Formats: sequence, structure tokens, C-alpha cells
Amino acid sequence: MTDVEVKSEVTGTIWKIEMKVGDAVDVGDEILIVESMKMEIPVMASIPGRISKITVSEGQPVEEGDTLAIIEAQK
Amino acid sequence: MSNTDDADAGWLPEVKELNRRRKWAEKLGGADAVKKHHDQKRLTIRERIAGLADANSFGEVGKLTGNGQYEGAQVMGVTPAPYVMGLARIAGRPVAIGGEDFTVRGGTSGASRRRKGGQGGFVEDLAHHYRIPLVNLIDGAGGTVTSLRGRGYSVFPGVFGFERSVELLGEVPVVCAVTGTAAGGPAGRAILSHFSLMVKETAQVFAAGPPVVERALGQQIDKNDLGGHEIAVNTSGTIHNTAKSEEDCLEQIKRFLSYMPQNVWELPPVIETDDPVDRCEEELLHIVPRRRTRAYKMHRLIDLIVDRASTFEIQPTFGKAVITTLARLNGNPVGIIANNPMVYGGAQDAKSARKQTHFMELCDNFHIPLVFLVDVPGFLIGQQAEQEGALREGMRSVFAAARLTVPTITLVIRKCYGMAGMATCDKNGLDLKVAWPSGEWGSLPLEGGVAAAFRKEIKSAPDPVKREKEIEDELRPYMSPFRTAEAFEVEDIIDPRETRPFLCRFIDLAQHRLRTSLGQPLKAGVAP
Repeated sequence: MTDVEVKSEVTGTIWKIEMKVGDAVDVGDEILIVESMKMEIPVMASIPGRISKITVSEGQPVEEGDTLAIIEAQK
Repeated sequence: MSNTDDADAGWLPEVKELNRRRKWAEKLGGADAVKKHHDQKRLTIRERIAGLADANSFGEVGKLTGNGQYEGAQVMGVTPAPYVMGLARIAGRPVAIGGEDFTVRGGTSGASRRRKGGQGGFVEDLAHHYRIPLVNLIDGAGGTVTSLRGRGYSVFPGVFGFERSVELLGEVPVVCAVTGTAAGGPAGRAILSHFSLMVKETAQVFAAGPPVVERALGQQIDKNDLGGHEIAVNTSGTIHNTAKSEEDCLEQIKRFLSYMPQNVWELPPVIETDDPVDRCEEELLHIVPRRRTRAYKMHRLIDLIVDRASTFEIQPTFGKAVITTLARLNGNPVGIIANNPMVYGGAQDAKSARKQTHFMELCDNFHIPLVFLVDVPGFLIGQQAEQEGALREGMRSVFAAARLTVPTITLVIRKCYGMAGMATCDKNGLDLKVAWPSGEWGSLPLEGGVAAAFRKEIKSAPDPVKREKEIEDELRPYMSPFRTAEAFEVEDIIDPRETRPFLCRFIDLAQHRLRTSLGQPLKAGVAP
């Protein structure tokens, strides 16, 4: 199994977490939403798998490149 | 030998020597050097050219150049000059093509055979005189101080200079692919191009490599941390695109050239497409969320509009707040510049502005019409953006937009605010501006704009929050795009589903303008 880090493209604040650890994801599924420049920017899964970790909480400020979650890739 | 009297043989002995010399050239730096090169998962320069050129189309120039080893008058072998070049065809169209041979002295430019090399070399003259694209396959470390001893003096910078390289940028498409470690001259040469790319695992680009850096700054650093693709492409934008392999690199070169004319005096090639011009996509009606703060997928939007599978994105990993992609509409090459709401809401930062400026200049130079798909809230703001010079780079893109000569269409998808919005219009031309019904624009958005303009009134109100909201609500109806269309400040509002037919019609009609505007760009002032 490979772990893939889900990173923030932008500096902003975690606005909403839409998934929880253990949830299955497919490519394009929304994991959480970062608020930046008054916009809600969805962060999506880039590979199919399962959420093994969410490293942020709602309201938390994040920087560009910060890891937000980890997906355990499907075999 | 030529003094033989054997009339039957004619010049056969010389021809045999010629063939022997050709074989030596084809051996490059020798079997051991070639094996070492292959072991590093790298192709030789001859393999690279063979991979790019149409079958049997490569006409080599300067194959016999090198350092001969003689016993008396008898030649025993020739070490080829570390550069292979000539003319070839790619997809049927002639190009000048050349690259360093890393298996001979690491591709370093030798003293006496310098003229054969890439920078200021014969291959650039081929491109210039025949008015055909230039493909540089860069795999060399540039000058070496070892040539000092042989030459007996130090060469002044610019004697083998960049004059021709610079000239070519206004004449023919120039593609530079970095396929190994490029420092100094070859690294600089890579940047003087319309499109540059580097191979992911095996290429690095820097002004100077780790040994020089350590000596000068005491900094110990790995070559990939200094100039690997993560730095040179994703972080600095020094090089435009990353290729995942040597093969992918050659494919990207072919792909890029497929959108380009042979030179600025000709039009880019139009191809047949089976994608219907009148294809309307229902999905476009829903792609922009009604909730104004919600981002959406601009890449998807582009794919729905242009000819199927026709995009080739330039700088996809740098300055991601804007998407710059070559594409086709009814077979005609176009440049698409689209703000990406997924990255800082599409706000233009220094990097995305720099990327947009380059792309506009590229398309303008080669008569490729531009389509702006606009969703820009303005320049990126905040201390970091100011430190990076977002305002200056942003104004450079306004400057470049105002100088555009190619037909341009501005289609507002959602937001078009302020000076960043200005950078999406061609103020000199027809300046056709249309919008989707989701379009909104102005000097600055109502939110924040109201707070600034009505500060006193809001502050003195019994309930300031409520008053601010009241003023926003009062002004919001004026933001309707239909009101601006009534005033003819946008020429039309279009049904999102009809975007492809609308754009195809525009691009088809622009062909006469393109055909009668060929040639080199006029010099116009100094880029700020």
C-alpha cells in the first residue's frame, strides 16, 4: 500500500471537512474545503483509495503545500 | 589516395575513406561511453534526433567535424565534435535540429569547433536562413576552462554570443529541451526559447552546478535540489514543462510544433477535425456554481469547449492561478488563457502573471488568436504578494495585453475585476467582450468595495453590519451583466451551452485578419 499526501494548493483556512478517516474515495471526490481569497476551494482525491488520516481541523489556518490528509491508495 | 592512377576505381578510395569517417562519427564517444550513457537511462543525441525526425529525413550537417588522429599522413580515427546537427522533417515540415553529444567530453563546447555548437552555432543559422523552427536538444555543461590552455587566451563573453538566439525569437519557433545537466551557456540557451522543457529524472538546469556553488557560497547542495524539475519548472518557472521520460520529451516537442507556423511570415497549420462546430454541452449550464464563493473546475470547462483532446498546456505546474494552453477550435490553433478559481480564486500573483505575459507574447508572435476565459477577482493581495512583485508582474501582463495584435476574444465566465481584468482584454483591437450570465465585473467587488467607499456611513449607523449589508443589497442589482450589455460595454451575453459554436465562428472569421497581418512584430517601447 502506498500513502499519498493530499496537499493544499493555497494558503487559507480549513472551512469544512467533508470526509472522515476510513471513507473510501475515488478520483475527484471532495475531501475538504479550504477558504482562501473569499473563495471555497474544494480539495479532491487524486487517486482512488481510503482516507487514512486527516491532519487538520475546521477553522485551522493552512499554508500552501501543507499536508491536509493522507489517502491509502487502492491496490 | 587521390594520386592513384587506377582509372577504374575513380574516386572510390576517397569514398571509402569518407564512409569510414562517417562510421567514426556515428560511433559518437565510443562504445564504452555510449553504454555508460544508456545505463543512466539516457538516449544518445543520434537516438534523440531519430526519435524526433520523420523516418529517413535527417540530413546531417558537419558529420566529418572532429579531431583526427594521424600516423604520418594516414588517418587512424576521428573523435567527433561533441555536437550533432542538421535538417530534418517533423510531421512532414522541415526543422533545424541539433544537440550536444554527451558521450564526447560531456558535450563541452570545444575551443576550435565552437562554431558547430548550439549557441551562436551553425544550426541557428540554418533555422534563420531557411526560416524553419529550431529544436535544441541540450545536454552539455557549456564552456570549460581547460580550453584556456589550448587557446592561449580567455574568450570575451559574447564573442560566441546570443545575438542569433535572440533574433530567432522574433522569426521562427524555438524549442529547447534539456536532457541532461545544463549549466552556464547551455542553461541560458534553454531559456532563450518559445518553449522549454526538461526530462524529469535526468535533467537539471542552473546558472552554476553544485561544485561552483559550494566554492562560492559554502553551500553543499544536491544537483536536483539546485536545479531539478521541482525547482526549475514548478518553483521558479525557469523551464516551462517537465517531461516524464526522454520519449515523452520528444513527443512534447512534436506536439508543441504542431500548433506553430514555420515562421512569423506564415500562418499556423489548420487541421481537419471531426468534432462538430455546433456541439453544445449541457454541462456548461451547470458548471459555474450559483453560490458565488464556490470554486469549480476550469480545466473541465476548457475541455468541453475546444476540439476534443486538442489541448497542450504550457507551464501546467507553475503559476497555477492561470491556465495557459494551446488548443484548437474547428481545427484552428488558438491560445486559451483561463483563470483557475481553484487556486486563490484565480487571483493573479506574480508567477501566474509572468506565465500569462509569456503566453500572450508567444501567441501574438505566431499569429495564434487568443481566447480569454475570465474569472479573475483581481491581483493577489497581501504582504507576500507585494514582496513577490505581483503588482509589477500584473501590470506587465496588462502592458502585453494592450500590445496584442492577434484577434482576441474575452469571455467572462464569472468575475472580471480591476487591473487583472484589464489584462484579459485587447484594448487596441476589436476588443470583443462577451459574458456568460454568471459574469460580474467592476473596479472591485461589492464585498469590501462597499466597506471602503461607505466607511463613514457604515461606521455611524446604529448597526454597522446591517447597514453594510443594506448598501450591498441596494447596489447588487446594478451588477447584473444584462445592464452592462444594455450599455453596449459588453457586446453580448451568451448561453454557456453555445460557447463552442460562438467561439468557432469567431475564430473562423478571424482568419482573414490573420492572413493579412503576417510578419515580424514591430518594436514597441520597453517592457516594464
